[in-house]
This record gives sequence, structure tokens and C-alpha cells, in this order.
Amino acid sequence: MSAEPDAVRLPPAAMPAAYDGSAATTAVKVGVGQAAAAVARISDRGARIVAVTIALVWHLAIGLPAVLGARTELAVPQVVVGGWVLVAAVGVLAGVRLLRDTPLPAPPLAGLLLAVDVAVFAAVGRTHLFSPANWVWGTLAWFFLVVLWGRPVRWLLALLAAHAATALTAVALYGATGAADLARAAMALYGTSSLPVAVFAGALTLAMLSRDRAANAAAANAMSAEREAAERARGERRGRLALASDAATEVLTELAQGRADPSDPDVQRRCVRAAGRLRRLIAESDDVPHPLLHELRAAADLAERNGLPIDLVTIGTPPPLPVQIRRSLADPLTATLADARDWARLTIVAGPDEVVVSLVTPDRAGPDAIGPPTEQGEEQVEHLYERDGEIRWTQTRWRR
Amino acid sequence: MDADALASMTPGRPVGVAIVDDHPVVIDGVRAWLASEPRLTVLATGDDPDEVLRAAPGADVVLLDLRLHGRVMLDKLAELSAAGRRVVVYSEHSDPQTMLAALDAGAVAFLAKHEGREHCVATVLDAASDRPYVAPTLAGAMVGDSRPDRPMLSDKEREALLLWFQSMSKASVARRMRISEHTVKQYVDRARIKYSRAGRPAATKAALLARAIEDGLIRPEEIGIYRSQAASDWPTP
Repeated sequence: MSAEPDAVRLPPAAMPAAYDGSAATTAVKVGVGQAAAAVARISDRGARIVAVTIALVWHLAIGLPAVLGARTELAVPQVVVGGWVLVAAVGVLAGVRLLRDTPLPAPPLAGLLLAVDVAVFAAVGRTHLFSPANWVWGTLAWFFLVVLWGRPVRWLLALLAAHAATALTAVALYGATGAADLARAAMALYGTSSLPVAVFAGALTLAMLSRDRAANAAAANAMSAEREAAERARGERRGRLALASDAATEVLTELAQGRADPSDPDVQRRCVRAAGRLRRLIAESDDVPHPLLHELRAAADLAERNGLPIDLVTIGTPPPLPVQIRRSLADPLTATLADARDWARLTIVAGPDEVVVSLVTPDRAGPDAIGPPTEQGEEQVEHLYERDGEIRWTQTRWRR
Repeated sequence: MDADALASMTPGRPVGVAIVDDHPVVIDGVRAWLASEPRLTVLATGDDPDEVLRAAPGADVVLLDLRLHGRVMLDKLAELSAAGRRVVVYSEHSDPQTMLAALDAGAVAFLAKHEGREHCVATVLDAASDRPYVAPTLAGAMVGDSRPDRPMLSDKEREALLLWFQSMSKASVARRMRISEHTVKQYVDRARIKYSRAGRPAATKAALLARAIEDGLIRPEEIGIYRSQAASDWPTP
């Protein structure tokens, strides 16, 4: 016999499957956000493929021939071709990452694209300012789209504004300030920007709508699962209430009719048991019990059916806990509870960062309850067991 | 503040108790518990606090059932506490919120009805001398208190409250924490005294604090954030 608390690492012992029934509710609740995000991602995928394809196909099919065809007439052909190659590489890389749901960071890529924009305008020369060989007019806006996918529209608008400023500055510096040239510049800017903006904004809106719809559907599912669990819990509770009131009515009737003697220890025990059972039912204020409480209540009910008066007091609400931790918290107590005699006090004190479960039963001669094997411990759960001649005290404690 | 109600106990005179409950059978039961202690005498009983106190104006301690005729008597509790009445609340509603609300309203102690037999006499005796008595159920409510404005308890105080709530045996708590039973009681009582600084001020809370300082349970400088209501009346220099 030892009064020294000894810390024992806990094993995940097998738990009756029925106890895990209400765990689904918590899981559904947690899943609402994730499900909505997943649906939004999937519905966004088509638009992403379109954007990447348009950018690369345009770049390859229209930009490249024009650049190669006019190569000898450009002011600094190396810069124009080099810019084309650089943007093609960026487009492929960013496109692949985007389609794999791991987009590259936008700011450095956007900066790179703008730098290429300036360089190509500077290197293209007056002759090809408005020709297809100045490929940045047509293609760059689509690459903005690929790089900025999923960001707010204002980012895209800002980049397009910077692109327009670069273009107009170039037009002015090349001296192409005639009415026809200005009109061409304006048309080119408008024509190459409006479609990307529409695609971008449309995709954002669609993603948002589908995310909302998915979230609504998931919330409705979660609610109906919760309602089902609550109804099941209420049914169970009603059953236990019937059991408890029958026992209480019986003993009260016998007392009233004088058939039972209040000084009889057996009658007193029955009263204690009936009162304890009713008290526990009154204390259950949760619609859907936390799985841990559910497990402990089930264990308490079982012990009580075997004739053990038991006090079960819960303070606070446990946070969602992985099954492993829940088992490490409950198993040592349910094992000791099965071995308890005379009375038992089971308490749960829970907060967001800590859950402490304790079982106190009177100590009596005899060997210790055979605890579960101690391999495969759950490190976050501390287990204390001690007997001091007065009480046997089992405590498990989880800290975040 | 009612000076008579808070007057310190005369040695030799038994502690006068008033019992307010709307169930005669409970009154009889409580009376039977208290009868085992010669230092206590029941002066009046009834189901209306005002009437009971008219019948026994000199009662040192009022045992009040928190729910009378279906109404929760928190307002009445606050009124009595503000007037300096030492009220020990007992109730079958032992949910933490109710217990903490009762402490906030100025109750000297809180007993869950099912722990009455063991703790009632000790609670009333301590209440009569403005000393805290924390029964296990109240300890549980304090240790589980998650309100943002809850008093800050030390680790030892929390642990003592938790273990006392779990085991209901100070001897076992002492063995577990490897300290003396006396020290366990000190930790628990200090935690309780911190609660007398929370919520609205009441004469009973001030009396608990004053007695705690007198007993050396806390030092005046530990009171820290507690500001006397008289402080604002001081002339500004």
C-alpha cells in the first residue's frame, strides 16, 4: 500500500463501439468549413484551367510567331525575345502550381511581369510599337490573371493600371501622340484588359457562391446530425429517468406504506441510490453529450445497475478531443469503477486547455484493481493512482 | 451596514440561526443537523426571509434556500448581504453558474443540499465568525470558473480546490500535495477570500476580508486591486 502518487503511462485500451456514436456530431461540425472550402476549390478549378490555357496558348500561338517574324526589325530583339521566354517560363511554373493548389507567392511574380512589361516596351522600338510583335499588349494581362488567381480583384486592377501606365508612357516617349495612335493604344488596352477582368471577377464570384452553398449544405447536415444525436440522447435519458423514477417510487411507496423501515441500512442504500440517480439526470444539461461524458456516464450507469451508489459531477465543457486521448482519460477510471464497492465519486473538471477526471472510492483491503497494460502511452495524459487507507483515488489529466 | 448583525460573537452565547425554506421537511432536516451542535441555536424558521428576520432580528446566520416558491432569490440575497446579514445559501441547484452568482451577490457560503449533513454545522459556525467555509461542490465551481473577470488563483490554490472537490477529504488532499491539512485549508480559504473581492461590494464580503487579514490568511498588501468604497470619499489634495 502506498500513498505515493505514481505516474503511469496509459494505453489505448479497446472501447465498446457503442460509446463512440455521438463522436460523429463533433466531426461533422468541424468538417463544415473544410467541406465548403473543398467544394469552392473544385468548382474554381475549371476557370483556372481556362485562364492558364488562354495565357499559354495566346503566348505561344500569337505572341511567338509575331516576335520571331519581326525579330530583325526590333530595336533590341534580345530583350523582347528574352522577355517572351521569361514570361513563358513564369507562366508554365505558376500555372502548374496553381492547378496543383499550391500557388506561388504573387507579389514577386507580379513585380517580375511588370519589369518585363517595361523592358519590352523599351526594347520593341517605334516601328513595332503597335504590331503583334509587341507581345506584351495582348498576353501580359492573362499572365497577371494566372499569377493573381484567388486574390481580390483590386490587385488585378492595380496591375492592369500599372501596365496601362507603362504602355501610355512608352507611347508618349516614342512620340506616338497622334489621335490615331492614342486611339489604338486605348483600344488595345481596353480590348486586352476587359476579358481577363471579366473572367477573373466571374471566377471569384462563382467560387464564393459555391462556397456559401456548400457551407449551407454542410451546416444543414451538421444540424440534422446534431438533432439526431440529441434525440437519441433524449431517448436514452427518458429511459434512464423511467428507471430512476421507478426505483424512487418503489422505495417511497414502501416507506409510505410502512413496509420499509427507514432505519434499515438496505432501505437507506436504496434511497441514496435513487437520489443519486435522479440528481445525475437533473445535472445533465447538455443536449448532445460530449463523447467523454457519454463514456463516463455509461460506465457510471453500468456500475450503478450493479448496485453501486455513484456521484457524477461535471464542471465545464471539454474541448473536442481525439479518441486516443479520450480513452486514456476514461479507461483507467472505468476499470477502477468496475472494482468499486460501497460508493464512488466521479468528477470531471474541464476547460479549453485541461480536462481532469477523477474517481474516488473507499479503500478496502485487497489487491489493487488490475489496471490496463501500460505500453503505448498517450503522452499528453497523466495518470495517477493511489490508495491511502481511506480512499482509492484514480485521476487522469490531460493538458494541451 | 447593520452593526448588530456583524457584531462579533459573544463567547458563551450560542450562534443564532434563522432558516428560510419553503419545504417544512427541509427545515426539520436542517434543524436536526444543527441540533447536534450545542454552539448553535435555531431562532426562527419560515418561507419568507423578511418575516423570519422580523421574528429573529438578532440572528447571526441566515440559512437561505436559494429557490423559494419557484423564484430564485439572488436579489434578496444581495439585499441581505449588503445589509450585513451573513447568508449561507443552500440549494439543490448546484450548477457552477448559480453558485458563483450567489458568491457574487455576497453569500458567505454555499452548500449543495446533498452535502448538508457533513458540512452544514461547520459552515454555519465559520460563517458566524466571518470565516470562509468551502464545501467540495463550491470548490468545484471555483476551480471550473471560466468567466473572464474571475479572480486569479495561484497554482497551489487551484490544485487544492480541485483535489478537495474530487476527494472530499482534506487528509487525502494533504497527502497528495505533500503538505499539511492546515495548509490545504489555507489554500482553499485564500481562494475563497479572493472571491470576496469580485463582484459588487457587500458588507459581508468586507467582513470576510477583514477577518482573513486579522487571521493572517492574507496580508493587507495582497488585497491589491481591491479598492475600498471609501477611497473615493477622500479629500483630494
